[in-house]
Amino acid sequence: MSESLTSPLVTPQRVTTQADRRRQEALTGFGFIAPALTILIVFLVIPLIAAGYFSLTDWNGITPLTREDAYQFVGLRNYERLLIEDGIRQERFFTAVKNTVYYVLGVVPTQTFFALILAVIVNQRWLRAKDFFRTAFYFPSITSSVVISLIFMFLFSSNGLVNQFLHSIFPGYRDVTWLNDPNGIIHNFLGLFGITRASVGDWASTEIASIRLWDWISGPSVTMLMIMMLNVWTTIGTMMVIYLAALQNIPGQVYEAAVVDGANAIQIFRHITVPLLRPTTFFVVTVGLIGAFQVFDQIFVISNGGPANTTLTIAYLVYASGFTDNRMGQAAATAAVLFVIIFTFTLLQRRIVGEQAIE
Amino acid sequence: MRKFLLVTGVLCLAVVFSLGGAVLAQDEVTLQLWGASSGEAENRALEEQVAAFEEANPGIKVEITFSPEYETTLQTAFASGEYPNVFYVPQARIAEYASSGVLDTAEGKLTDPEDIYPSLAEVFTVDGTFYCPPKDFSILGLEFNRALFDEAGVEYPTADWTWEDLQSAAQAITDATGTPGLVISADLDRWMAFYVQAGGELYNEDGEWVFGEGDNFDAAVQALELWRSMREAGTLVTPAEVGAGWNGEAFGNGAAAMTVEGNWVIQFLLDTYPDLDWGVVPLPAGPAGEGTLTFTVCLAVGADNAYPEESWALVDFLTGPEGSRMTAETGFGPAPARASTADLWLEARGEEYSAFVDAAADAVAPILPVGFTAFRDTLNGNIQQVIDGSMTPEEAIEDAVSVAQDLLDE
Repeated sequence: MSESLTSPLVTPQRVTTQADRRRQEALTGFGFIAPALTILIVFLVIPLIAAGYFSLTDWNGITPLTREDAYQFVGLRNYERLLIEDGIRQERFFTAVKNTVYYVLGVVPTQTFFALILAVIVNQRWLRAKDFFRTAFYFPSITSSVVISLIFMFLFSSNGLVNQFLHSIFPGYRDVTWLNDPNGIIHNFLGLFGITRASVGDWASTEIASIRLWDWISGPSVTMLMIMMLNVWTTIGTMMVIYLAALQNIPGQVYEAAVVDGANAIQIFRHITVPLLRPTTFFVVTVGLIGAFQVFDQIFVISNGGPANTTLTIAYLVYASGFTDNRMGQAAATAAVLFVIIFTFTLLQRRIVGEQAIE
Repeated sequence: MRKFLLVTGVLCLAVVFSLGGAVLAQDEVTLQLWGASSGEAENRALEEQVAAFEEANPGIKVEITFSPEYETTLQTAFASGEYPNVFYVPQARIAEYASSGVLDTAEGKLTDPEDIYPSLAEVFTVDGTFYCPPKDFSILGLEFNRALFDEAGVEYPTADWTWEDLQSAAQAITDATGTPGLVISADLDRWMAFYVQAGGELYNEDGEWVFGEGDNFDAAVQALELWRSMREAGTLVTPAEVGAGWNGEAFGNGAAAMTVEGNWVIQFLLDTYPDLDWGVVPLPAGPAGEGTLTFTVCLAVGADNAYPEESWALVDFLTGPEGSRMTAETGFGPAPARASTADLWLEARGEEYSAFVDAAADAVAPILPVGFTAFRDTLNGNIQQVIDGSMTPEEAIEDAVSVAQDLLDE
């Protein structure tokens, strides 16, 4: 651009100054990003501001906003109810927090680990039918989550394939009602040793944030476990593709050098592949974390937050408060808290994995 | 570049104008009618009725929209202020919608409103104002599978069955055939029927919520204890445990000998399980006598409405004598809400379904106070836990009552 300005071959018809050109370029630039920018503003920025605004009101989500008395400002009342005040709102919110945290702790490490392993496998030169495996592993990620949820409901129903399969392996197996079992898996595990709420003593009944200590350590319920498996299975594909791209970016010379130095396959994987994939791992974990905190559709299709509120996640609580409980203000406040949680976790995660990765 | 901007601008203008044009002048009135749909049969029934209305009222056209996530869709329409002229309101939502000021009142706008079952009209009366006429209703009955009863050599249920009869028949069938006697979802929309049979009340005479308080506590415990003991005896299962999505499907599959469902199950069983030999009787009587639940939907007219007169004409036609007759004769199962057409419905459906209309006058609508979602979730979860044996009936009710108290105190 600037070369052509000084070129003697160009004889401008009118004088075009540097500033004119800049303006022209800026205009063109805005022209190109305008569609994306409009969509972002309309569907992201405005709703974000609106949600923040409504979280300070008592709007019920029904009364038309065109009316003057549709809502009143209640200040931070909604947040107070969720976070501080003992009672049903706090209990529901922290039940959702508990369920979501178990979900995230289960899903994110598992999917990251398996995605890496799968990516390494389908990246091997000796593997035949590579394309088939890559497609097969990626396929669940591009299928509608509703369809997959329905298929899983079919597989996991009490006389579904999963139970039948388990029957054929373990003849004494007692059918698990996967779709409707509120028992926490940690409780179940402790139960094997005869440890129950009654047997551990009074401390277990102490309430923190309206939830008994004993219930805090329940672990995900059996139904939640099933939804976690579903999500791990569907997300692995996407994560695998990201890892695969990164793996192919690692220069071959590094591996050759390692082989010359006498490293075996496991050493190469641990000391070369994993460290070089660090930036990718950061990305995969961050995206996984954000996705996992926002889990909604599978729960909407499979369990509606039940049984016994054990699959009530924060995102589902937002929907339930807004649309079945008619507390849109409360729903907006819940969404705002979810945003803060995700933001904090991402920052924290960046501290832990990120810093070296970004260098 | 300029060309690009010009083209974009022209396109934008074109979009704006075409949107504007669509809502410009119309020579006849078009009403928007929104409904929830349970399936093809229901859609067809409504379309036929609307066609009859359009024929009788030239100049009024009705555009029907069925949406799958009905309440969510309707709520966002309310919020925007641009909502349909006429729409279904499920009984659970009436108080919320009425208090949000989106419903016109039905007072003085209907033909012969005394003919509507008073128990149903009351469902749609909030603070003394009658908002919308019910379009039809369903009540819970006890469906039984004749083949399984025959196999076990147990006599068919009758209208004067009690809880003991239910328990002993379920036991005999479970023992003789290995098929559980009763399939029922751990859900207050079924369980409340047993609560009512045990003498429980939802509201007192002043309209205050009294679930589980005083004598109602014992009634609630008794009703849960019945389910718990049947569960312990192995005669009660939930649909999920037998791999079904709901009671009707489990019953149709022959996974249990009896279930508790409403009128909607009739067409479903006839269509999906044509070979099933089944019958229906009123629910068994509990310690305090008979009792069942009713489920109904009304047709409401929006408060912000450009054509209130035409809208009420449509509602009056659909829920009035003519519409009720059509609901009775060519409907998809639920009975019309007018007492005068009960016989027509029986005639069209067959005498064997009389259980679905007989108790209409004193069936209870299981409506919770506004904002009681947390109570619903809690009680449903607790019923499940009582069935699982991880909670006693007393604990379950105490917990639910304390949640209700929290909600009322808010």
